[in-house]
Amino acid sequence: MNAVLNLLKPFASLKLTVVLLALSMFLILAGTLAQVDQGVWLVVDSYFRSIYVAIPFQLFVPRKLAEIPGVLPFPGGATLGVLLFVNLVAAHLVRFKLAWNRAGMIVTHAGVLLLLVGEFVTGAFAKEGNMTIAEGESANYIEDTRSCELAVIDGSDPKDDLVIVVPGQILEDAAGADLSNGLLPFTVRILEWMPNSRLLGPMQASPAQLSRASAGFGKQVAAVPARVASGVDGAGTDFPAAYVELRSGESSLGTYLVTTQLRSLQSVDVGGKRYDLALRFERRYRPYTVKLVDFRHDRFVGTEVARNFSSLVRLSDPAQRVDREVLISMNNPLRYAGETFYQASFAPDDSGTVLQVVRNPGWLLPYISCTLVTIGLLWHFGIRLAGSFRRKLA
Amino acid sequence: MKSFPRFFPIVVALCVLAFMGSAIARSFAAGDRARGVALEDIERLPVSAGGRTKPLDTFARNTLLRLSGRQTFEVDDARRSATEWILELWTDPSAAAERRVFRIDHPDVKSLLAISDTARTRFSWKEMEPKLDEVVRQAELAQQVSRKQQDPFQRAIADLYGKLSEYAEVRALRTPYVVAPLAAGEEWAPMVVVDPHEKGKTSINDSESARAFQAILVTYSTGDSANCERAVAAYTARLNASLAPEMQRGAFEVVFSRLEPFYQSSALYMLAFLLGCVGLLAAPISPDRWKPSLFRAAIVVIAVAFVVQTFGLCARIYLQGRPPVTNLYSSAVFIGWACVPLALFGEWFSRVGILSIAASFIGFATLIVAHNLSASGDTMEMMQAVLDTNFWLATHVVVVTIGYSATFLAGFIAIFYVLGGACTRLLAGEAMKALPKMIYGVICFAALASFVGTVLGGIWADQSWGRFWGWDPKENGAAMIVAWNLIILHARWGGMIRERGVAAMAIAGNVVTAWSWFGTNMLGVGLHSYGFMDSAVFVLSAFCLSQLLLMAVAFVPTAKWKSLQPA
Repeated sequence: MNAVLNLLKPFASLKLTVVLLALSMFLILAGTLAQVDQGVWLVVDSYFRSIYVAIPFQLFVPRKLAEIPGVLPFPGGATLGVLLFVNLVAAHLVRFKLAWNRAGMIVTHAGVLLLLVGEFVTGAFAKEGNMTIAEGESANYIEDTRSCELAVIDGSDPKDDLVIVVPGQILEDAAGADLSNGLLPFTVRILEWMPNSRLLGPMQASPAQLSRASAGFGKQVAAVPARVASGVDGAGTDFPAAYVELRSGESSLGTYLVTTQLRSLQSVDVGGKRYDLALRFERRYRPYTVKLVDFRHDRFVGTEVARNFSSLVRLSDPAQRVDREVLISMNNPLRYAGETFYQASFAPDDSGTVLQVVRNPGWLLPYISCTLVTIGLLWHFGIRLAGSFRRKLA
Repeated sequence: MKSFPRFFPIVVALCVLAFMGSAIARSFAAGDRARGVALEDIERLPVSAGGRTKPLDTFARNTLLRLSGRQTFEVDDARRSATEWILELWTDPSAAAERRVFRIDHPDVKSLLAISDTARTRFSWKEMEPKLDEVVRQAELAQQVSRKQQDPFQRAIADLYGKLSEYAEVRALRTPYVVAPLAAGEEWAPMVVVDPHEKGKTSINDSESARAFQAILVTYSTGDSANCERAVAAYTARLNASLAPEMQRGAFEVVFSRLEPFYQSSALYMLAFLLGCVGLLAAPISPDRWKPSLFRAAIVVIAVAFVVQTFGLCARIYLQGRPPVTNLYSSAVFIGWACVPLALFGEWFSRVGILSIAASFIGFATLIVAHNLSASGDTMEMMQAVLDTNFWLATHVVVVTIGYSATFLAGFIAIFYVLGGACTRLLAGEAMKALPKMIYGVICFAALASFVGTVLGGIWADQSWGRFWGWDPKENGAAMIVAWNLIILHARWGGMIRERGVAAMAIAGNVVTAWSWFGTNMLGVGLHSYGFMDSAVFVLSAFCLSQLLLMAVAFVPTAKWKSLQPA
C-alpha cells in the first residue's frame, strides 16, 4: 500500500495542479481565439478533445499587424483532462484523512471529477442531430448537420427503397477525381466540392454559373463556395454542395449540382433504370416517427424578435405502444427513448420546425456534479468563515 | 471646534439625504409645460416600441438618446424635455427640423455635409437636408461592405443613415405604435400604416384610441391648451379602464426616468470615494480623529448610494418583470451593486478603510460603464425566446454575475494594496496584514460563485438545447475566470505564492474578467479587422495594459515597500 502511495506522490503535487490549470486556461484562450476563423466543432475536436494540438502563433496577433508563421506544440484538452483527473485522485489518495473540516474539499473534488468524467462521456458518446419537419409531415430519422452523404436511391422495389450512401468525407477527399464502387450504378466525378455554399437563384446567378450543370435543378440555381461558419458567428450550419458529373462507362449521364440546401431529389436515368440522387445531411433512422401537428412562432408586436417557438408534435412508436401528442417549446424539451428533443429553429416562413435531437448518456452528471461542488464549497468556506467570525467576535 | 470630526459624518449624512430628498421631490413635482399644456400626463401616455409597452416619455428619451447622445434637447440654449421634442416633431415638423439633435463626430462626415462649423457635434435635419441624397448614396455604398470590414467613415455614415431613417420613421408616426388596444383581441398598431401592396400608399388608423391620440396632437399643435388637456384626460381615463397595469407601470417609469437613481448613486459613490481618499491622506496627520471620521462619512455615503441603487434595481425588476440581470447594461449595474455589500462586509471585518474606498470606486466605475452601454436606447428591451425564463435568469445569470463582481472586487482591493503598500506609507501597520486576508477571502467567494454560476449556465444550456458545454467564446470566458480563481487558491495553498503573489494574480483576475465580460463579445466584431480600433476595444486594451503595469508594481521587492518599512 505504501509503495503505491509513494508512486503516486509525484502526481499528487499542488504545483502540478497549478501548472495543469494554467495550461488549461491557456488552451481555452487559444481555443476561443481560434474560433474567430474556425468552426466551433473543428476547434472542439482539435483543441479540447485532442491529445495534442499545434497552436498557430498567428492567433495571438491580429493579421493586420504582422504575419507570423509557426505553431506552438501544446497538450490537447484530453491530455490535460486526464492529467488533472490523475492529479486530483492521487492528491486525495496520498493525503486522505477523514475529518469534518476536510469533508468539504473531498465532496467538492468528487464533483469536479464527475464533471471531467461527464465531459469525457459527452465527447465519446453524445450524438447530436436535427429533425427538420414541415407542418403536417413526419420524420423518422435524425440528420447530423455536421456531416453529409451522397445518397443514390433505387426506388424500383415498391416496398422498400434501396439506398446507397457515400459519406461526405469520401466525396471531399475525392474532389477532382472519380469515385466508383460496385454498389454504385455509375461513376461519380467530383468536379467541385464546397464545404459550405451559398445558393444563387435564377435571377442572381450568371448564365455561366447556370451552365455548369447540364441536368437537374442545377440548370435553374447555382451554388458558389461560402466561408465556413466560424465559432464566433454563433453555431452556424455549413451547407456543403458539389458539382458532380455522373458517368456510365465512357458516356456522361450529365453534370448535376447536388446541395444540402435543397431537399428535392434529382432523377438520373441509367440505361432505362431510374435512380434518385441527393446530397443530404447524414441520416440516422429511428423506430419511431415524429409528426409536426402545429408550429407556432410568436413575435413581439411590431418587431421580428421571437417571443417564443413551440412545436406540437405527435410521437408514435408502434413497437412500444406509444402514440401521443407533446408540446415542445423553448426550454421545455421532450425526453424519449434516451434522446432529448429541443426546439432549436424553424424553416423559412415558419413552414416547419427544426428540433435538435441529442443522445447523451452522461447528461445527468453535471447536475450531480454541480450539487456536490456547491455543497462542498459552502461547507468548506463556511467552516473557514465561521472560524474567522469566532476570532473576530472573541 | 474640537469635536467637529465626531459630528462630521452626521453632517455629511444630512447633506446627502437632503440632496436625495430634493431629487425625489423634483421627480414627483409637476413637470414642464409646453404651449401652455402640462406635459406630465402626455409623458405617461403608453406607446409600444421594440415589443414593449412604455410611456411616451421613455420612448422619446431613448430616441433622442440614440440620435443625439442626450435625453434632452436645446431651444435657445435652454434644455427641454424629450417629450416636448417628439410632440414638436409630430405637430410642427418644420420647427423640429431646426433642432440640433443629430450627433456627428466624424470629420469626413461633417465635410461631406458641407458643414463649416467643425467644432460643433450636433446638427439639425435642416442643415443636412441639401446633402441627404449624398448621405444615402454613401450609406448604400457602405452597406455593401460587411460591418466587420467597414472603415470608420463607412461606419459613421451608416450610423448617420440609420439615425436619419429612424427620425423619418418617428416623424411619419410609423414608430412607435401609438394606437393602444382598448378591447380584448386588439393589438398595438401604428398610426400610419404603409400599404404593403402599393408603394407609397399609406392609410391612417381610424380606431377609437387613434382618434383620441389625433385629438391630442391637433389641439396641441393649435395651442388650444384647455382642450388638449381635456383630450389627454379623457384618453387617459379610457386607458386606465382597459390597460390598468401598463398605465400604473408607465406612471412609475416616468418617475423612475426623472429620478435617474443610477446617476444619483454614481455621484454619491464618487463623493464617498473622495471622502475615503481624503481620509487616507489624513491618516498620518490626524490618525485618531479625522481619519476614522472621514472613513465613517464615506461609509454613510456608500450606504445611501447603495440604497438608491437598490431602489433602481428593484424598480427595473418591477418594470420589466424580470430578474435584475437581463443584458450587458444591467450586468454592469449589478456587478457594482453586488460588490458594495461584499466590500462593506470586509470593511466591518478588517476596519482598514481601504475597502470602502474600493467599494465606492467599483460602484462608480461600473455605473459609468453601464451609462456608456445605455446609449443604444431602451435598456429594458424584450428578451429573445431562449432567454425567456425567469428561473435561469435569476439563478445562473445572477450567480455568475456575482462571481464576476467578486473577482473584480478582489482585483481592486489588490490594486489598493499594491499601490498603497509599495508607493506610500498609508497602509503601514494593521492594513498590510488585513488586506491580503481580504483578497484571499474574496477570491474564495469568487471561486464559489463563478464555478456554481458557470455550471448552472451549462445546465441551462442542457435544458435549452441539450448541450451542457459547447466551448463557445462566452462559455470559455466564464471557464477562464473559474480556472484563474482556482489557480490562485491552489497556488496559495501549495505555498507557491504569498501576499504579494496573491495580490498580483488578483489584479490579473481583472484582465481575465474584463476579457470574458466584454472581450468575448468583441471577437464577433473581428479582432482581426478594423474593429480592432473601435473605441470599446481600445478602452478594454488600455484597461488590460494598466492592470499589467499594476502587477509589475507588485513585484517590487518587499524591502522597498514603503508601508512595510519600519517607521
